[in-house]
Amino acid sequence: MLLFSLILLALLFAITAALARTYHAREQGLVAEWFQKGNANLANGKPALAFEDFRNSLSYGPENSDVQLHLAEALLANGRFTEARSYLMNLWDRSPGSGEVNLDLAHVSMQTGDVDQTIRYFHGAIFGSWEKEPALQRRKVRLELCEFLLAHRMTNDAQAEIAGLAADTPAGDGILLEENGRLFLRGGEPGKALAEFEAALQINPRQSQWLADAGQVAFETGDYLKAESYFSKADRENPSAEIRASLVLVRDVLGNDPYLAGLSDEEQTRRSWRDFELGLVRLRKCARNSTASLSSGQSPSDMQLIVKDAQELQRRVNLRSLGGNPELQSEAMRLVSRIETATSRICGPATGLDEALTLIEKRHEGNNP
Amino acid sequence: MNEPNLPVEEAQVAAPKGHPSPAAANGSGLQWLSSRARLLSLSEGNLFLLLAIIIGMFSGMAVVCFRIAIEWARLGLLGSALAPPPVRVLLVPAGAGLVVAFLVQKFFRGARGNGVNQTKAAVYVFDGFVPFRTVIGKFLTCSLAIGSGQSLGPEDPSLQMGAGIASALGRRLKLSRDRLRLLAPVGAAAGLAAAFNAPISAVLFVIEEVIGTWSASALGAIVLAAVSSAVVMRSFLGGEPMFRVPAYTLARPAELLAYAVLGVVSGVLSLAFTKIIAYFRPRLRALPEWTYYLQPAMAGLLIGFVGLRIPQSMGTGYSYIDQALHSQYTWEFLAILGFAKILTTSLSFVSGTPGGMFAPTLFIGAMIGGAIGGLEHHFFPQVSASVAPFALVGMGTFFAGFMRVPITSVFMVVETTGSYSIVLPVMISNTIAYLISRKYQDVALFDLLAKQDNLELPSMEEQREQIVLRVEDAMRKPDLPPLQASDTLARALEIAETSTEEVLLVRFPTGRWAAIAREDLRAMASGRSRETQLRELLSTARLPILHPDQRLDDALRFIQGHALLPVVGRAGSRKLEGVLSLPDILTAYQRTS
Repeated sequence: MLLFSLILLALLFAITAALARTYHAREQGLVAEWFQKGNANLANGKPALAFEDFRNSLSYGPENSDVQLHLAEALLANGRFTEARSYLMNLWDRSPGSGEVNLDLAHVSMQTGDVDQTIRYFHGAIFGSWEKEPALQRRKVRLELCEFLLAHRMTNDAQAEIAGLAADTPAGDGILLEENGRLFLRGGEPGKALAEFEAALQINPRQSQWLADAGQVAFETGDYLKAESYFSKADRENPSAEIRASLVLVRDVLGNDPYLAGLSDEEQTRRSWRDFELGLVRLRKCARNSTASLSSGQSPSDMQLIVKDAQELQRRVNLRSLGGNPELQSEAMRLVSRIETATSRICGPATGLDEALTLIEKRHEGNNP
Repeated sequence: MNEPNLPVEEAQVAAPKGHPSPAAANGSGLQWLSSRARLLSLSEGNLFLLLAIIIGMFSGMAVVCFRIAIEWARLGLLGSALAPPPVRVLLVPAGAGLVVAFLVQKFFRGARGNGVNQTKAAVYVFDGFVPFRTVIGKFLTCSLAIGSGQSLGPEDPSLQMGAGIASALGRRLKLSRDRLRLLAPVGAAAGLAAAFNAPISAVLFVIEEVIGTWSASALGAIVLAAVSSAVVMRSFLGGEPMFRVPAYTLARPAELLAYAVLGVVSGVLSLAFTKIIAYFRPRLRALPEWTYYLQPAMAGLLIGFVGLRIPQSMGTGYSYIDQALHSQYTWEFLAILGFAKILTTSLSFVSGTPGGMFAPTLFIGAMIGGAIGGLEHHFFPQVSASVAPFALVGMGTFFAGFMRVPITSVFMVVETTGSYSIVLPVMISNTIAYLISRKYQDVALFDLLAKQDNLELPSMEEQREQIVLRVEDAMRKPDLPPLQASDTLARALEIAETSTEEVLLVRFPTGRWAAIAREDLRAMASGRSRETQLRELLSTARLPILHPDQRLDDALRFIQGHALLPVVGRAGSRKLEGVLSLPDILTAYQRTS
């Protein structure tokens, strides 16, 4: 009887094993079938349907991490953050070093407004493991973290992350270098941004967008010579109205700046005189056009004062009196600066040479006696 | 009431065929076992343990096949989506209900009814006999019923299938009546362990609800069967806990208050659920027998209507428990799910559809728990944690209140989720629910169902709470100090004359005690010197001693042949705490009754 029991046991074992195998195969089939449907719906922008599909899939493979992750992502896309968090926490408990899970948790925390947790999970994702293209994934996460920090005005933290990003950037990838440059620029570090653009240009010196970017940063930092160089190259490589306008402006600055190094005294005097005259023209035009507003009491004292000062200075300033008199040159240029500031406020932003004069004054602010 | 269930009927018919008469059983079974045992150098006890392992393996495989059969039935009848198409939702449970009812009424009458009570009936009424036809009937009808969306679970049938398999094996091996009686709970534990993937809970449940005592002879076999069954099940279906739960930590002690509230609500609702079943079940059973063919179908139709709006309330609902544990539902919807499940499960169960109550109970508990957790979190976010731990605790709490198995319920939550950190809230909440249920419902669910089925089964709850009389409840103070072994015969006679006792106790310096009757003392004095010491006269006499905390039942075994026994403290057997005689014991029993 015992022997019979053992034979029966073996027979039942074989039957059960066959049944279990068939059942598991069917289960796996259903997991895959619903998973594919879910992915398709998610890709087609139907997160609600995708969520149902992933839930069906998960009911046949409750331990399947991929399905859980996609279900959580469908929930995220559906705006159901609490539920998504629950699934993600479950996954996180099992694999706290998963980059993907940490990233999704960062997104959940972002939605719930928990800044500290968001940063923590972003870091978890950056230093976590990624199955496919880990370096690229980590860079993407870091970029997202930088955006998050910049959006939350956490500039110091953002600068540290951008520096980390730059440090991990492969030297030969100009696109990534350019991306770094733009981030540095947004993070308030134009010097580092310019360095990134210039590094990118070393790889491809004729890339017009990078040339334009470098020109723009140089322009913003007041390095007009460099800006002129980059803009002119960019214009050569890929002419556009925008670059052309920037180039003209830079050249106007360079052509009218009396304080530019290496100018002769005569040239300095000539430029000061021309700038002074340009300022007076702008003042007259603005005063004429804005008589109504002046009489209505909008900043009358400011403008009237400038007009008065201009009349007074006009009596003393001419090409000859400016020559060899740097103090008078400075006084004239200060008035030009006041004129541009006031007219910009009352008559609209300066354009053309007037804009150049504004930039010249801005560049030398504090340097003038 | 005409009860069509019935192991009573089947047992009465089938027992003479397969079931040996006690006389025959005591003879051939043991002889057979002994001969095999000698052959394998195994004692009968060890062979019984080996049999328990084999039973566990058979039960484990049967439960694996059963669970697969339920899944195949569900896939075939309702489709693979969690929310099946409406036409199927409406028609399948009703149609399957008709087929199930026909099968039960025509072929498997034993499949109807509660598996736990039928196993208890096998132990206490039918000498361990569970018809194998019931095993087949449970397998087929429950697979169809649960797979079609009836709101029932596979655990209770698995338990009975395990008991049936064990019983069949025991009968084939021609085991004695005592061993056969023991086999049914062994198989039951194996079946439940595989169904729940929770061997500890299965062992505790069988001890708490089926056999009622921690009998050493049964425990080893039950544990081995449960473990082997769970191992077999895990090797085929995987070893993951039944539910995956997010990590839980008790953030602050005030959270326990929130769980206490859950205990109160679950206690009240489990009470209501019991009352609903207690009210409707006998009334439906009292209807003419032809309606038994229709009742499961009608229940299926109504469940289908509920399922159109709330498909989660159909079937076992394990997937939805998992979702509740992952905070997938709002607290309002969780509450709706809990009440809908109470409705659909009541419909399924009172209509006599075969299937168990474990899974629905867990479902209802999880939903109610989640709802309470969500509600508390809504109003007191600082006190209560997220919904998930409440759903988890709720499972055990409702189970404790409804099934009235407090210890099993705690371990079940821990085992089915693999989360030990939740145990403190579970204990608090379960105890409250259990006490509420106990206070307002005198008879526990299983006892109630047994009574409705005209079965007079012992109530394990009552047994647990019976007053145990101890020696200290019956002993009395001696009227005089005991004699010393060094006392002379003259001194002993002198004391004996003043004592009201007919028998005097004598204490030896070694802690040994002896007794001597007054008449015997007088007789000894007539032929000996009055200066003779008692130790010389009582050199070989030795009395059994009792301790105050010993059960009075045990004292009865020792007192036979002795007029008086000394009761001594455990700290030292020389200190007499009291004396005990047979009339004292009888008086104590009379006083209690």
